[in-house]
Amino acid sequence: MATRHLIIGGGTAGMNAIRTIREEEGERSEIALVSAETPYSRMVLPYYLDRSIAESHVFTATPRVLADWGVKPHVGRRATALDTRANVCTLDDGTRLEYDDCLIATGSSAVRAPVPGADGRGVHSFWTLDEARAVLAEIAPGSHVVMVGAGFIAFTILNSILALGAKLTIVEVAPRILPRMVDDAGARLVEDWLTKHGVAIRTGAKLTRIEDAKGRKRLRFAAGGDLVCDVVIMATGIKTNLEWLKGSGVTVNRGVVVDDRLRSSVPNVYAAGDIAEGRDLITGEPAVHAIEPTAQEHGRVVGANMAGKDVHYRGSLIVNIVEVCHLDVASFGAWDDERAEIASGVKPDRPAYRKLLWRGDRLTGAIILGPSSDIWTTNDVGMLKGLVQSGVSLARFKAHLKRNPFDVKPVFIASKTTSALLPETILGRPSKAPGNTPVAV
Amino acid sequence: MLATTTHVLRIHPEKCTGCLRCELACSYMQTGTFQPAKSVIRVSPFEGHTSYAPYTCTQCAEGWCMTACPVGAITINAAGAKDVLDDTCVGCKLCTIACPYGTMFYDPDTRKAFKCNLCGGAPACAEACPTAAITYEATATADWLGEFARERTARVLAGAR
Repeated sequence: MATRHLIIGGGTAGMNAIRTIREEEGERSEIALVSAETPYSRMVLPYYLDRSIAESHVFTATPRVLADWGVKPHVGRRATALDTRANVCTLDDGTRLEYDDCLIATGSSAVRAPVPGADGRGVHSFWTLDEARAVLAEIAPGSHVVMVGAGFIAFTILNSILALGAKLTIVEVAPRILPRMVDDAGARLVEDWLTKHGVAIRTGAKLTRIEDAKGRKRLRFAAGGDLVCDVVIMATGIKTNLEWLKGSGVTVNRGVVVDDRLRSSVPNVYAAGDIAEGRDLITGEPAVHAIEPTAQEHGRVVGANMAGKDVHYRGSLIVNIVEVCHLDVASFGAWDDERAEIASGVKPDRPAYRKLLWRGDRLTGAIILGPSSDIWTTNDVGMLKGLVQSGVSLARFKAHLKRNPFDVKPVFIASKTTSALLPETILGRPSKAPGNTPVAV
Repeated sequence: MLATTTHVLRIHPEKCTGCLRCELACSYMQTGTFQPAKSVIRVSPFEGHTSYAPYTCTQCAEGWCMTACPVGAITINAAGAKDVLDDTCVGCKLCTIACPYGTMFYDPDTRKAFKCNLCGGAPACAEACPTAAITYEATATADWLGEFARERTARVLAGAR
């Protein structure tokens, strides 16, 4: 009897797992997919919002593609319980799915600030495709949009809102923007840049309620100064979708705790992506990385292991990039490590900012900020990732980088980081192109 | 097992004179303009401009750009090179920070990612190089510049300004 794999969650982790199972397996297995939505890429929703792509572009696996891959879809259904003794997953319509092994990849969802009116008409999250549709339907040229929260998610849709011709105000309860992506100095440069580009920013603003105001919305704040607008977007964080795992017997901390093969505490149950608490490549500590590249790598490692391979994962690296009004902002690794040795440089008029973080002779984190069209911003951004990822010793070059943190390229080349990186693959073999997934016979 | 590529761009840094013809040829082939900023092979100076070497994508086995792309916009072309499908790329820049070699770029004019695609099997840079510092050969990819650069960064190492 063919092995029965159950993939719970149709996001990046789940879809990569399915493709990799098909690439790696010796004998054809059965794959079932439980997904609340038709699988799509959350990463590209901002480009759907600014109408640069059609809605059809966001889908990562249409029913036709799932059929080609030989996947039995349970789309539009949610998993409500996992019985790891009986190896059965129960869905919200009562369906019981038996499995030989399963992947928990139910991701995370948006949370709203807990204030009165947060669930009212004209107040949106921006996380799912349905939410993107709702926001797109409400923004018109000249609309005033207030975004509550100034984190990464908010910044990914900032350009799109402006591109639709809306006026944008960002309110943030913390004293500064982008608290989980750049340091204070970087945040100040971004804030000044956005202000120059016509985005109103109010930090340290505690929202107390949202009210209807003659067809518009009124936001009230603890310190006064109401804002009246047409559309409110709540970008106030995400939470891991763990609730349904109560009673499953799977060990949960901040996420589902996994080993270096992405197995949970139950040997035939894996976890991947936003919901998994796996190893951080730099710190070596367990961490939840709710980012696309981690979901992708986790998903592929799980897929290979489900297909009978023995792939060990070194850990995931935090990488983030966002462009706002043609300013690139990116950070890598342990960019917020308070115990790291620091080399930074700033060119306020460009603006350009670099921060390199060191543990001994290894680069362990970096922040890069600068105009997208500026060669100093774009020429070596990936090299910073390579230096952090490879962990090569930069002893001979450290003094130079401390003097000039913008001059990364000669250091990258002369440190033979390329030699260190070339043998590295996630699955221990060359990757296959996305269109090369074996299809059903 | 799928071979990533059969032919690769082999760099012979000791032969490079820093003339930048490779950058002009590359940008012309890739974008139709003679504009080194749009070249995906880029010449770096060493030792205070006394020596030079061109640097470009190694067509690595992992293909970090390709596996990172959330919409499958990076594929492997007939020459075995990782190649961006412009119609599918949305310009999210994730590949530019996933590539650990710094050889994935973003074009603000087209709002797409771009990279070395080996010109589909007839690389313009190798054709244009007057000193055969870039050759297109059936060999394994390698770190062509590391040793050369290591020997030529003494000023950097010594901390001279």
